[in-house]
Amino acid sequence: MVEALDLPTTRGENWRWADMPALQAARALRGEADLPDRLLKGAARLVFVDGQLAEHLSDVDALDITRTTLASDHPLAAHANGDAVALALAAQSVTALEVVRLTTGEGHAPLAITLAADAVLTLVETFAGAGWSNALTRFDLATGARAMRAVRVVQEAGFVSTRDEVRVGEAASFVSTALAATGAGVRFDAMLTLDGDGAFAEFGGALLTREDQRQECAVRVRHARPNGQSHQLWRAVAADRSTASLAAAVEVARDAQKTDGEQSLRGLLLQRTATVNLKPELEIFADDVKCAHGATVGELDRRALFYMESRGIPAPRAKALLTRAFVADALGRIADESVREQFEAAADAWLEQTL
Amino acid sequence: MATKNAEAYEAVSKKYEWGFATDIEQEFAPKGLSEDTVRYISAKKGEPEWMLDWRLKAFRLWQTMEAPDWAKLNVPPIDYQDAYYYAEPKQKKTIASLDELDPEIRRTYEKLGIPIEEQKLLAGVEGAEPPRRVAVDAVFDSVSVATTFRDELKRAGVIFLSISEAIREYPELVKKWLGRVVPQRDNYFATLNSAVFSDGTFVYVPEGVRCPMELSTYFRINAENTGQFERTLIVADKGAYVSYLEGCTAPMRDENQLHAAVVELVALDHAEIKYSTVQNWYPGDENGVGGIYNFVTKRALCQGRNSKVSWTQVETGSAITWKYPSCVLAGENSVGEFYSVAVTNNRQQADTGTKMIHLGKGSRSTIVSKGISAGRSDNTYRGLVRVGPTAENVRNFTQCDSLLLGDQCGAHTVPYIEVRNPSAQIEHEATTSKISEDQLFYAMSRGLDQEAAVALIVNGFAREVLQQLPMEFAVEAQKLLGISLEGSVG
Repeated sequence: MVEALDLPTTRGENWRWADMPALQAARALRGEADLPDRLLKGAARLVFVDGQLAEHLSDVDALDITRTTLASDHPLAAHANGDAVALALAAQSVTALEVVRLTTGEGHAPLAITLAADAVLTLVETFAGAGWSNALTRFDLATGARAMRAVRVVQEAGFVSTRDEVRVGEAASFVSTALAATGAGVRFDAMLTLDGDGAFAEFGGALLTREDQRQECAVRVRHARPNGQSHQLWRAVAADRSTASLAAAVEVARDAQKTDGEQSLRGLLLQRTATVNLKPELEIFADDVKCAHGATVGELDRRALFYMESRGIPAPRAKALLTRAFVADALGRIADESVREQFEAAADAWLEQTL
Repeated sequence: MATKNAEAYEAVSKKYEWGFATDIEQEFAPKGLSEDTVRYISAKKGEPEWMLDWRLKAFRLWQTMEAPDWAKLNVPPIDYQDAYYYAEPKQKKTIASLDELDPEIRRTYEKLGIPIEEQKLLAGVEGAEPPRRVAVDAVFDSVSVATTFRDELKRAGVIFLSISEAIREYPELVKKWLGRVVPQRDNYFATLNSAVFSDGTFVYVPEGVRCPMELSTYFRINAENTGQFERTLIVADKGAYVSYLEGCTAPMRDENQLHAAVVELVALDHAEIKYSTVQNWYPGDENGVGGIYNFVTKRALCQGRNSKVSWTQVETGSAITWKYPSCVLAGENSVGEFYSVAVTNNRQQADTGTKMIHLGKGSRSTIVSKGISAGRSDNTYRGLVRVGPTAENVRNFTQCDSLLLGDQCGAHTVPYIEVRNPSAQIEHEATTSKISEDQLFYAMSRGLDQEAAVALIVNGFAREVLQQLPMEFAVEAQKLLGISLEGSVG
């Protein structure tokens, strides 16, 4: 019997759609975890097993790995507080890295990644195994740094919770895309601060849920300096009795004039028993900003379906194609072509099984 | 970074003209809140036993509840024992005709532009064709002091009277519907209201009747240290139609006064209720001293097929506004609408929006919310659109626009969308903007001064909502939106 944790309740505004009982249950799960195939050719690899850095599985000779201490007051991430792996990327360096988190029961993996000026990072993160995998990742991007990140959950059972705390410096760019298309419960939680003039951030992804699953994202982008740009693009497809929830907030501080914040949250319901929840939130304290959000929920466009059928495409195929295009909106932001193709293939496989 | 808007919002800030107090003799309940207060109010109203029990049940519930804190509001702690829960102007118990009304009270309403005389039109619409008449129920602190056009309405079958009279005269109707839409345990403020509500309006429009005139209630807080807790209940029977207007003001005082109202609407098959509010409680001064705390629960039940409820609100007053007029769309093909303009200035805080709960097949809802923030105020739209699993073919369209005047204020949008049926089509759009220099420059180059230019642009921004108001209120609302109209712009 695993002792009960003090977890947030759905009474809290940010936890309204959270599935903490699933997280609690996940902690009792035990499973095997195999190392998934690499997605990035020639990339360095950091592997954590149950939250601990597994040096024999990792391949980080080219990197400057040290230790640091992380502390977050986020209710889930706080469980990962403490001794953390720190990775510092030198100015103008170009790095390709895969981070794999294998979980066989419960793992809390804190990780700090610092990009010096103009450093470039291509990052793929993978969650595999079973149980509760809890990640706290802190990114710090100095002037002109660029991070392109793709996160995938291949873990079939249990619960994956991520908390990203990101500082994006002047003219730096942080682009992150996440895909959850497995049986695990998921919460992607992030706080991005655009902390320099002209900073850019994109944070989005796709949640595909079925059976009794519940997945959610809770992302807050804070514009603290002028001329920042942010995009949050999320897609959710919910089948059976599952629930997919997208909560995205943009906060514009007093000084952050000329901010351009954009949110696009869209949900697709495949059965009447499924639920999609959306919360596109704006919190604006500056008067010269452009912030817009769009949110829609519904089923596939009947006219598009009709058109495709009239061109001889059978209905199930037409549905699959349109659903695929719906999800591809979000995954299209992945810059590395081979990674994007793998993500799309994973989404396709899910759709094929579900539709 | 200061912008021209900083000066421009001066144009929207205007003095609170309704801040005078009327000096009349009043009778108060003992200060504080206890079961005795509830009994006192009930006895004062000469209520039957069932009503007192209903109140006491609510009061006991309330003692176990906690004030909600999820809104984006900074609410100072409220001392519920430091207020009067009942204030009644001393006058004859029953007045035979409107002429017997206390002249001070009559003058108060005249000063507010609400003549409590029949056959008169509301200010600003003289010469309108055909002449429009409005029946008024005037609520002064805790008591309804006058209701006009009663006889004519009675001939049409419409029951329009204060809720305390309705409890005495139509106990069965009130018993049937009171608390149906907003139950006693609904939320902290609604429960408090259920215990201590003093007066308000009851409207019943019988089957197939189209109410021959607009109905209106004008709420006035006058006494110091007094909370106002009115309760409004409107029932539109099958195929009925009624348009109801609500206005309110209060004197300028340095203390904060509590206003916790409950409004319940019920629309049966094919019935339609149009509910318009111009909320102009005293907002406090520019440093945030004084002003009304406005915690209101408004909810409509579209119970019947093809029923329709339309909420329109213009929110300009109150130091704190906490208000979410909602529609429970239970009937097949029922329609809910919410049109709102919320203006905050100085240190005002508004957290307002709507809930559209779709339960019926083919139900539709439209939400148009326009928030205008100036000064150091915070203006939040908070809304929920929920589609139940059995509600097929639901449509919702939501548009939330915010306008920021000045760089010290905040505009926030917190929409929740919860959908459990794939045939639903839910769309949500939101924008945030300021008055552009180009717009101002253009309007001023055409000869408008800055104030008039800002007022013009603000009115244009809120146009979609103002159009929904009955003419009487559109006039008042445009004025309130900060234009020095002086009756010339329509």
